[in-house]
This record gives sequence, structure tokens and C-alpha cells, in this order.
Amino acid sequence: MTGFFDIIENIIKALVFPGLLFATIGGLILAGFDRKVIARMQRRVGPPILQPTYDFFKLAGKETIVPHAANKPVYLAAPFVGYVSLIVMMTLIPIGGYSAFSGKADLIVILYLLTIPAVALIVGGSASGSPYAGIGVSREMVTMMAYELPLIIVFLAVARLVGGSSLEFSLQYINAWQVANGPVISHLAMIPAALAMLLVIPAEVGTQPFDVAEAETEICEGPLVEYSGLPLGMFKLNTAVKMFVMTSLFSALFLGGIYNGIHTGVTLWGIHFLDIIIRAIIHFAISLVVTLICMTTVHAVTARLKIEHLFKFYWTVVTGLALISLILVWIGL
Amino acid sequence: MFKKMVAASAAKSPWIYHINTGSCNGCDIELVAVLTPRYDAERFGFKLAGSPRHADIVVVSGPVTSQSKERLIRTLEQVPEPKVVVTLGSCPKSGNVFKGSYSVECPVDKYTHVDVSIAGCTPKPEAVIEGLYKAAQILKEKREAMNK
Repeated sequence: MTGFFDIIENIIKALVFPGLLFATIGGLILAGFDRKVIARMQRRVGPPILQPTYDFFKLAGKETIVPHAANKPVYLAAPFVGYVSLIVMMTLIPIGGYSAFSGKADLIVILYLLTIPAVALIVGGSASGSPYAGIGVSREMVTMMAYELPLIIVFLAVARLVGGSSLEFSLQYINAWQVANGPVISHLAMIPAALAMLLVIPAEVGTQPFDVAEAETEICEGPLVEYSGLPLGMFKLNTAVKMFVMTSLFSALFLGGIYNGIHTGVTLWGIHFLDIIIRAIIHFAISLVVTLICMTTVHAVTARLKIEHLFKFYWTVVTGLALISLILVWIGL
Repeated sequence: MFKKMVAASAAKSPWIYHINTGSCNGCDIELVAVLTPRYDAERFGFKLAGSPRHADIVVVSGPVTSQSKERLIRTLEQVPEPKVVVTLGSCPKSGNVFKGSYSVECPVDKYTHVDVSIAGCTPKPEAVIEGLYKAAQILKEKREAMNK
């Protein structure tokens, strides 16, 4: 019987709590807050918080047009592949110190999974056969190269700090270490790395100063130009979920271990129900604050960069910040 | 459940695509004014889309010059169903001061159905918002008609 319950539990983990439902709803609400706060910063009333949800369902009800030049299966499958990889990532990241599935090297798996939504955008865009998409795809590739390097260095710095000379890539262990030694961000050497990660998030998600690939006013949303209906909605949903996943990753890497005191002791079938709910809410609140700091504020006060400026910025300033942390951690500060 | 959500969202996120068919730019400026903080059409979910494939409402301004006629028809064909066509200003409706010119082929309803006409030279932003809001309601009706 235990085997049967394990299967049920895993299905619930994948489809309801840290997986599908939680990630999707969380991402959509996060994106809604993002738009609302930008509007308030510009002294507008702004759309309702549920606006991204309405957008998604409206797009789901629209006709899907496949252009003649497009490769149909690839064109239609690309957004769903990106979505699935984001959901898988969400189940690996600890939510409030509780991760659904954990392994020895989650961080490396996440590093690979993180590229899949961007690759899905590239593949889908090039499958659509539009010249606008071609420009967008080439820019998306350059953006990917730009932010991958600092992100890897940030991961290495965290792994070195937590694991010592044997690098530690298990998110569950990183969380346990933070419970014992305080959040990673409280170690002074890691503050540049945290800043670098905060700068990587907007490029990864593709918000304002770094949205070169999807420049709306310039190349008509780049890779998305030919998309319509549900696949377009899925790409918009991917952006929203990616917001939640990236901010969750930030709080798992840098702000773990702050849930330590939360123990209510209420259990149902041996699961600490109330704890998990409270921790999930706190986790969402932290994600919201991180979103407001690194995406919304930056979006409201900046204009879009050119692609070469973006590349230069990431390979000098952001990589520099990440490297400072890595060196400081490596010499044992 | 999913169908109910789709039906409920149909009127709440209308994305606009704007085609200028030889307009004097007056109406175009007023349409952009509607999206600025002062009038803020985004509170109804309106958003300016860059590609006709993303559009729900197609806003046509200008008296349809001979050069732009074919482009207008081709662009309208690229918009996925359900779609709503709105004419902005007097030109696409009647030709306005350009009527009778050798290079003008108005009105727009010779080439497509027109759901909402916002008259005026140029219409006030309040009138534009009202027209677009009506268009969003028509969008919802069309979406419901698609289910039957």
C-alpha cells in the first residue's frame, strides 16, 4: 500500500503543490502585480491583478493560425516544451525549505532546464519562418549567452560556500546549510553574487531594459510575431511562470533558512499541512518583493538597451560582480 | 470550467492593432493618447499589439488610399477570429475632406464588415475609449457565437 500512496503523493506534488497549479497561479498573480505596480508608478490606475490570467484565457479562446512557411509540429509544440521544463524546475526548487523532489545535483539540472524555455522560444521562432522572428531569435541567442555565464559563476560561488572544497549542488542540502549557518546573503562575500543574480533575473525573464529579443515596438515581439491563439498564450504564461521560478530560485539560494521558526505541529496523514501553507505564502511574498526590486522598478525607469550594450553589460559588470564573490569565497572569506 | 474562464475573459483583454490607411495622423495621435497615463485604457485591459496575429480589435484610420487598400485587406485577413473592426475618425467612414479624390477608395465597409465607427475629426479620447469598450463587448458576443 505504501507504494500506492507514494505514487499519489508524487502526482499531487507534480500537479498541485510545488508543481503545475501552484507555479502557474503564482506566476500569473506575480505578473499581475508587476503590471499593476508599474501602472501605479506611472500614475495610472492600471489593469486588474488578474489581467495576465484574462490575457491567457482570451488567447486560449482565439483561432490558432499556422503560417504556410512554418514547420507545424515544431511550431505548435515549442511553447508546451518550455512550459513543462519550467514546471519541472519548480518541483526541484525548495518552497519554504520544502522541496518536492530532491537529488544530488539539482542545481546543475536546473541550469540545464533554465535554458529550455529560451531554446523553445528560439526553436518556435525559427519554425515560424518570419524574418522578424529571425531577428528576434538571433537576439535571444545572444541574450542567452550573455546571462548564462554570470549565472553559472553565481551557482559556483554558492556551491563553494556551502560545500567547501567539494562543491555542493544539492538545493536541499544548501537549504539545510542555511538553516544552520544563516542565509547565504548574510555572508558578506556573497552580496555581489546576489546582486549579479538580481541582474540576471530580468534578462532571463525578458523584461524591459533587457527585452531586446521581444522588442514590441521595434520587431513586433520578435519570435512571437507569427504566433496566435493558445501557443501565444502559452508563451505569455511561460514568461509569467519564469518570473516565479527565477525569484523562487533566488530565495532558495540566498534567502533560505529563514523559515526555521515556523512549526505549528498540525499534521494530517503525517504531513505538516499548516506549515507548508504558511511557508508557501511567505515564499510567495518574498518572490513578490524580489520581483518588485529587480523587475518592476527597473522596468518602470529604463528604456530598452541595444543588443551589444546588453552583451557588454552582462559580460563586464554582472560577470565581474559574480567573479568577485567567487574569488572571495574561494580564498575563504 | 476552462470554457467558462475563456468566455469570462473574452471582453477583458482586448488587444488593439492599428492600421493607418493614409490618415493625416490626427486620429493616430488621439488613439495613442488613450493609452497614456491620463486616459489609461490599460485599466480595461487594452494593449497595443505589434503584430496583427496578436490582435482582437483592428482600428482603421484614414480614407483608404489606393496604395493602402490591398495592404488593408491583407492585414485584416491575418487577424485570428474572433476579431472586431473599428473605424477611427470620419475618413474611413465617409472620406471626409478627401472624398472624391482620385487616389482615395473609401469607405472601409466596401472591403470588410465594420463593427464600431467612432466619428469625429478627430474624435476625443473619451469617445475613442467608449468606442473601444463597445468593441470589446462585441468581441465577447462574437466569442459566444463561435461556441454555438
